[in-house]
Amino acid sequence: MAENNTLKKSKNRKELWKGISIFLFLLPALLLFVSVLIAPIAVSVYRSLQDWNGFSPGTFIGFSNYKELFTNGSIKFMVGLKNSLIVAFFSVFVQLPLSLLLALLLGRKIKGSRFFLSVFFMPVLISTVVIGQLWLKIYNPDYGLINRALDALNLSAWKHVWVGEVGYALVAVLIPTIWQFVGYHMLLMYAGVKGVSPDLREAAMLDGATNWQVDKYVVIPIIKPIIKVSVIFAVTGSLKTYDLVRIITNGGPFQTTEVPSTLLENMLFLRNRYGMGSTISVMLIILCFAFALLIGAAFKEKED
Amino acid sequence: MKMKRLVSVLLAGVMVLSLVGCGSTEAPAAAEPAPAETTAAEAAPAETADAATGDAITLDMWCIATESDSNRGSYEKAIADMQAAYPNITFNWEAFENESYKTKIKAAVSADELPDIFFTWSCAFLGDFVKAGKVYCLDDEYQNWKDELPEVMLGNTTYDGKHYGVPTTMNIVGLFANMDLLKEVGYDEVPGTYEDFIACCDALKAKGIIPFGCAGKETWCVTEYLESVIEKSVGADELNDIFLGRATWNNEGVGNAVDTFQELVTNGYFDPAGIGLTNDEVKANFMAGKYAFYMNGTWNCADFAADEEFYQKVKVSEFPVIDSSKAKLGQLIGGPSDTLAVAASSPNAEAAAAYAMELGKLICHYGYLDGCGLPAWTPYGDTSQVNGLTQAVADICANADTYVLFGDTAMPADEAQTYLSYVDQVYGCQIDGAGFIEGLANDIR
Amino acid sequence: MADLKTKRKASEDFEEERYTLKKTNPVVKVIVYAFLVFWALINLFPIYFMFTFSLKSNEEIFGKNVIGLPHDWLWDNYSAAMNTGDMKLYFLNSVLVTVSATLIAIIASLMATYALTRIKWKMSGMTNSFFMLGLTIPIQAAIVPLYVLLSNISKNPVFGKAFGINTYASLIIPYAGFTLSMAILISSGFMVKIPYDLDEAARIDGCGLWGTFFKIIVPLMKPALSTIGIYSYLQCWNEFMFANVFISDSVHRTLPVGIKALSGQHTTNWGPIGAALCIATFPTLIVYIFLSKRIQESFIAGAIKG
Repeated sequence: MAENNTLKKSKNRKELWKGISIFLFLLPALLLFVSVLIAPIAVSVYRSLQDWNGFSPGTFIGFSNYKELFTNGSIKFMVGLKNSLIVAFFSVFVQLPLSLLLALLLGRKIKGSRFFLSVFFMPVLISTVVIGQLWLKIYNPDYGLINRALDALNLSAWKHVWVGEVGYALVAVLIPTIWQFVGYHMLLMYAGVKGVSPDLREAAMLDGATNWQVDKYVVIPIIKPIIKVSVIFAVTGSLKTYDLVRIITNGGPFQTTEVPSTLLENMLFLRNRYGMGSTISVMLIILCFAFALLIGAAFKEKED
Repeated sequence: MKMKRLVSVLLAGVMVLSLVGCGSTEAPAAAEPAPAETTAAEAAPAETADAATGDAITLDMWCIATESDSNRGSYEKAIADMQAAYPNITFNWEAFENESYKTKIKAAVSADELPDIFFTWSCAFLGDFVKAGKVYCLDDEYQNWKDELPEVMLGNTTYDGKHYGVPTTMNIVGLFANMDLLKEVGYDEVPGTYEDFIACCDALKAKGIIPFGCAGKETWCVTEYLESVIEKSVGADELNDIFLGRATWNNEGVGNAVDTFQELVTNGYFDPAGIGLTNDEVKANFMAGKYAFYMNGTWNCADFAADEEFYQKVKVSEFPVIDSSKAKLGQLIGGPSDTLAVAASSPNAEAAAAYAMELGKLICHYGYLDGCGLPAWTPYGDTSQVNGLTQAVADICANADTYVLFGDTAMPADEAQTYLSYVDQVYGCQIDGAGFIEGLANDIR
Repeated sequence: MADLKTKRKASEDFEEERYTLKKTNPVVKVIVYAFLVFWALINLFPIYFMFTFSLKSNEEIFGKNVIGLPHDWLWDNYSAAMNTGDMKLYFLNSVLVTVSATLIAIIASLMATYALTRIKWKMSGMTNSFFMLGLTIPIQAAIVPLYVLLSNISKNPVFGKAFGINTYASLIIPYAGFTLSMAILISSGFMVKIPYDLDEAARIDGCGLWGTFFKIIVPLMKPALSTIGIYSYLQCWNEFMFANVFISDSVHRTLPVGIKALSGQHTTNWGPIGAALCIATFPTLIVYIFLSKRIQESFIAGAIKG
């Protein structure tokens, strides 16, 4: 009996120690997280229920901002949302497959893989301002590379003011946005690919599998957690796209390329509608979070 | 000497302006006795002796005169003068980039972290801060300066009859013309009547020269054209009433004026590539001789004058009158917008107010000499070195009748953005004049 | 551990051998290389563009000579950029802020990930999702609330000097916070791949939770460290909004704000901006190229039996 009690006691003590350890392990992250991220979310939720210009006392108006967000067409929230979802779609189905392909190719001990890896990653390191300026030069209606090339090919009829015409402007933003971060996802996946034990690869090869089959049946399943990271990052990142839109189209023409982040900033700091701006950010947070959970769940289901 | 006469003329012009206040009550535009001769004599900062003998204090200032801004020189000179005159005041100033400064200053107002003195734009931008009680009232301090700063120049920073801002320079919209290109179609002068002007545009177009350059990616550039067309069609007073919320947008004259502007677009007078260009790009095109005309703020004078080759070709003038039954020459778009203000939260608000006033005067003085804009304060000293373009603008202003401030500065922030988005649609021919006035009348109270 | 290493070494040798087993079709090989080279050219072009951009005048940048080599090599642009404000100081500030924020984010995220993925407890799943909230917050929405918070801290006589407005900490802590969620996401992607047998073995050897963490897990997380480090660098190095609002004295100013100050209200001379961007980018490119061997080795070092 007594022996049993001490065993229980020591087990309890162990449990307690485990609890304390967990808490201590989480403490630095929690402190950072609550002070820097949760506090602003809380403030945004509170402000989203107010009509507030940012400096005068606000008035509580319940959910009117939310209602207005979806009913007032001139706010363009639905346009922004649609655009960011398009970006997210192309990120997941164009950018990530391209990154994965590159990571898999370079993971095969190809000659010069180190050189390629470094070069492919470089656009990520270059400031968005430079990338934006570069693409503006590519799209420029007078001396831009595209229009010049079309002239040279006697296809002048196909020339367009790429960033100024509805229909082309969004594509004009989409291409550099997708392109710039291919290298980042590639590096992330490459780290995963290199983490795959060579034993497994080579066992599969001995069974007569080709390189592609090895990638498909051995490597990809193993790096799935990393692919999940990439997908979540790509989707939440797309919903928050901002930099290149500001530089390349600045939301134009006629606000057809606005994204939630540009609308949000306009509301907060240009239109002095801090309450409505907070509403947009709360909606954005909810959407991003829902997507992150959905993606997590989708990957879990596949694992089972 | 010629300049001195010009200055007096300019001032006489200023006196008869009907500059209108932004606040809900109009500022009484009291005519000041002409001070040109007396104040031209000296700039000595002697009159504010109370600040000079005060205790040692520190004043902070934020502004947008970054190292590459054209106003930088005038700020540096003015501050150097001030620091020499007031050794007891430790003056720290920081400059930030224009666009991001708007975010910064608004965040600072929200967090009550304003510096003692801050740069701001007049009318609605400053008005929101004033309404929230964050800005120190300058009425008392102004009494010391009213001889040098005409009260009409405070119209844009007067709210409920009280003064809150120190104007520095002012700018108007000018019609810049490349005379080399005009000569090619037989014009030695910028056409003075609208019919002539259109004939000139047609001639240019026929010769394969694009008449107008305008950056569609930055809507404020479109408003420089559109607002001038509206003003010269319906008259300054009507436009002012609409901008300041005293009249509805639902005004047929405005609708017709917008249609007139759109005709210019549909007739192909504008560079079709303009919708995808920034102002930097358009301005570079204009200086490279791609466009015959460029309507933009007179702050460009200094840049155009700095390019020796281009300076020989360029002329600035006023947009011609379209409907002479309602509008006339001398009705201009622009006015004092660059402003210094004092934070109500400043522990040394009184000293800061005195400092800001004098600093504003000096910035205005040096800014005018550098050709950065026209003076809101009574000019003094030798102004004969001011570049020819700025002098030409001063001539235009000397005959000014009424100023209407840029629409996006005059209107409250939210409305201004709505207005800009409609202007955007007009330029892109998505809506016509009727759609413009109807949409704005619906979306703005 | 020792036998793990030899085993890995042996398998690496074997991996080399494997490629001799099966010859890749030469046509496929050519296509693959052509694709890689093509993509490499596309990715090298921005660097060439940035460099030539930095040596041109506005006239050349806007139309006359957009992508060619500069007609006049305007090295003056570099001195113009360097002499605007105190670029050297801004550069050092950026380094300090970025490195500190990265270190904090790495330490906090590794510890948290360990607790979330390798210790079994009830709420771990929920806590993990809670941390994922951080991925969702648009930076613009956080500016004013954080600024108000920092402003209140500034008034505190104890913490104000160290953590308030106009301090390095006012950037480092928010940056670390905004990097944290992604850092946790990345490191859990790597940490779940480490076999649980290792933990068991360590426990049998007498290691507690902390011992296992420091002796077993942290050394195996090297590939994650590089990936987090790079992510954090990208987040902090070019960050503009916080740096613009929270820092109002030029002593603590960082590079992006310094570079932005090169544009004027109505006129901008783009050459010096290009030069400043080169100054901001090339050191990191060089460091990256030097480190890339290390970084890539660290990926391989993480190879464990999957």
